[in-house]
Amino acid sequence: MALNPFFLQGSSGEQRLVQSLINEQLRMYGVEVIYIPRKFVNKKTIIQEIQSSRFDDNFAIEAYLNTYDGYGGSGDILTKFGVSIRDEVTLTISKERFEDFIGIFLNGMDSSEIELSTRPREGDLIYFPLGQRLFEVKFVEHEQPFYQLGKLYVYELKCELFEYEDEVLDTNIDEVDRELEDIGFITTLSMIGAGRTASAAAIVRTGYVRQLFLNNDGYEYVRAPQVAIGTAPTGIGNTDARAIAITTSKGGVSSVQKILFSNAGIGYSTIPSINFVSQVIGSGSTAITIGTGAAATCSIETQGYGVISISINDGGVGYSTNPIVTISGPSVGIGTSTARAESRINSSGIVTSILISDPGFGYDINNPPVITISNPETITGVGTYRFNEIVIGQRSGLRARVKSWDSDDGTLKVSFVGASSTQPYFYPGETITGQESGAIFSVKSYNQNDIYDKYSQNDEIEEEADLILDFSESNPFGTY
Amino acid sequence: MLGTYYYHEIIRKTIIGFGTLFNQINIKHQGSDDTTTISDIRVPLAYGPVQKFLARIRQQADLNKPVQISLPRMSFEMTSIQYDATRKASLTQTFKASTGNNLKKVYLPVPYNIGFDLNIMVKLNDDGLQIIEQILPYFQPAFNITVNLVDSIGEKRDIPIVLESINFQDDYEGDFSTRRVLLYTLRFTAKTYLFGPIAESSEGLIKKVQVDTYTGDSVRSSTREMRYVVTPRAKKDYNNDDTSVLTDTISTTQVLIPVVSSASFNIGDRIIVDSEIMYVKEKPNATQLYVERGYENTSITEHLVNASIDKLTAADDLLVEPDDDFGFNESFTFLSDSKDYSPTRKIDF
Repeated sequence: MALNPFFLQGSSGEQRLVQSLINEQLRMYGVEVIYIPRKFVNKKTIIQEIQSSRFDDNFAIEAYLNTYDGYGGSGDILTKFGVSIRDEVTLTISKERFEDFIGIFLNGMDSSEIELSTRPREGDLIYFPLGQRLFEVKFVEHEQPFYQLGKLYVYELKCELFEYEDEVLDTNIDEVDRELEDIGFITTLSMIGAGRTASAAAIVRTGYVRQLFLNNDGYEYVRAPQVAIGTAPTGIGNTDARAIAITTSKGGVSSVQKILFSNAGIGYSTIPSINFVSQVIGSGSTAITIGTGAAATCSIETQGYGVISISINDGGVGYSTNPIVTISGPSVGIGTSTARAESRINSSGIVTSILISDPGFGYDINNPPVITISNPETITGVGTYRFNEIVIGQRSGLRARVKSWDSDDGTLKVSFVGASSTQPYFYPGETITGQESGAIFSVKSYNQNDIYDKYSQNDEIEEEADLILDFSESNPFGTY
Repeated sequence: MLGTYYYHEIIRKTIIGFGTLFNQINIKHQGSDDTTTISDIRVPLAYGPVQKFLARIRQQADLNKPVQISLPRMSFEMTSIQYDATRKASLTQTFKASTGNNLKKVYLPVPYNIGFDLNIMVKLNDDGLQIIEQILPYFQPAFNITVNLVDSIGEKRDIPIVLESINFQDDYEGDFSTRRVLLYTLRFTAKTYLFGPIAESSEGLIKKVQVDTYTGDSVRSSTREMRYVVTPRAKKDYNNDDTSVLTDTISTTQVLIPVVSSASFNIGDRIIVDSEIMYVKEKPNATQLYVERGYENTSITEHLVNASIDKLTAADDLLVEPDDDFGFNESFTFLSDSKDYSPTRKIDF
């Protein structure tokens, strides 16, 4: 035996005493920090990196601040990429306390998310409450001090400020989570507090175009042709019928699908002609006519009354799809027929036109039918979105996390929008539901740009470039 | 000598043109199933050089910023300005540029190469690869942008942006106290042109050509016989006279066109409906015109009821602008007055 057997090099009792003294000292002179373990969400093989991480647990632990007279590191510096804060701290935590109060919990977690639980891990976060800052552990020193009484009692954590990208921080400690409220890529949803149902009134007249017969749907109509209907005879109150063509494309053939009236006309006594006028691109010898071959005829009604047009009294608010229009039927009688119509909305979710597909027959001019337009998805928005909760677009299926919600102007700032090539944005008019709060409002518009980042100049550069660049050949990097 | 003030902001425009190429690059991250996108970030882009106080008050309004920096980020900056002798043109050559009715004399621009660095800082190698792959295929090795370099003369130039080199820095080795830095630097050259001062020219646009033709074998005693004058002839309506409208839709074969009143027209008038010019040959009755369709090689198309009918008159001819599509009015005058024309005094004497 090489060592003197009459001297102990640290008994387990002495070691426990030292550990207890250290624990006590740390609890008296330390700072209470929050230890936030990193959970792996997506790992990239071959190039070996964790693409997505989540920080959604918290463990309070006392730590001694080794750099007690200030942060280490290079401080605040201006780089090519804006201001970078290179503050560093070195913290000492008790080995025993970590193992008893953090490691044991980490050990019970999903091993695909937590690969190591026996010691503090590089990559984990420490919330330092004095400066309200998030530090990332970059190195764990375990042999400093070096084997006193034959054992190691503390970990020294060398940390520097966290480089943030899109990691989820959802520790349930509001003070910690809100540190990243304004940081990261944030997009904006303008929400509508209350939707409103559109309303419209029917105009009933006689001498109208009763029915349109599409005899030939033509081909190569990649743009809808204009529909020219012969004029009504001259007379007081007589009105020309007007209609639009709706095209469709199947198997590479674009043709006219149907014709809808914006006005079925008043005062027709003879059947008017119907012509399709194709759009022409260019002029002279290079002119190209878009589409050919479509032909239609019609019948007129000179005795009975029908719905010749529908005027919109109120376009409503908050529609995401064309609402269904229902027209009440005429009084029961021989040959009467109920009118039918379709609505159209604009990108702001407002009904802009109602087109008649069938003017009907047998209506009473003094008692016009009632027009009913279906409700928008949300009539009244309710609730308050919670910070950091997940919200889901009902129609797009997109998920995002709430950064902030301003109920006064209906601004919902979101991050982590799971956009994809098939679903790149939230639809105007769809409802957004908070998973925890249950809040539900309709989207008025969605701004996919980050208008809060103080570094980013993407918008400014684009606006200036629009004034001087000729992008008639289109921006190869997309329209911005 | 030097010192005439002018500033076309050409270098600034080149910087903007370069920067805008990279302002819509996104990166995406997937969830644990490797397919669902859980984050879609448009990579922030900025011009690197910035006033220090501005950077501090804007980017660090909160002094206790909780994180070091948010990544990924891209920045670009101008690094060099160098004369490009390979694109040199004659020093004294000028060209004329028109601004409506005035001519401006412009010396040929001087070719300069402006060097740019595009720096990309990412946290993950995969982010860097996503960004780089969205940029590189467009540069073979040049990509052209068309920039309106000098607004006052509407001078648009194609500026090739040439990708010169790609540098890649990945400090993953070394002790654990230094952070890994992933940095791409793409070096570009923008082949732009710098314009000198632009002078007003005393010369005007040629809007009339007049030739007097002489016969005889003596320069002195020959007398002029014929005058030939050419002026621009409008091929579109400039003054929107809206003389009448079509009272019915007309097909491509119809030559009798229905109008509100044929009294508004004279035989021989040129009229335009949409972009088709017609020639009025006859007025058979009070509400119809007999016309020649597709006059002056315009394409014959259908026209809808209520389409506006405009007359093309001398008033329209006067409003023809440079770069418009126009024809020519010709006139021949036979002269036997033994006079000569003075171009300076613009009279016969």
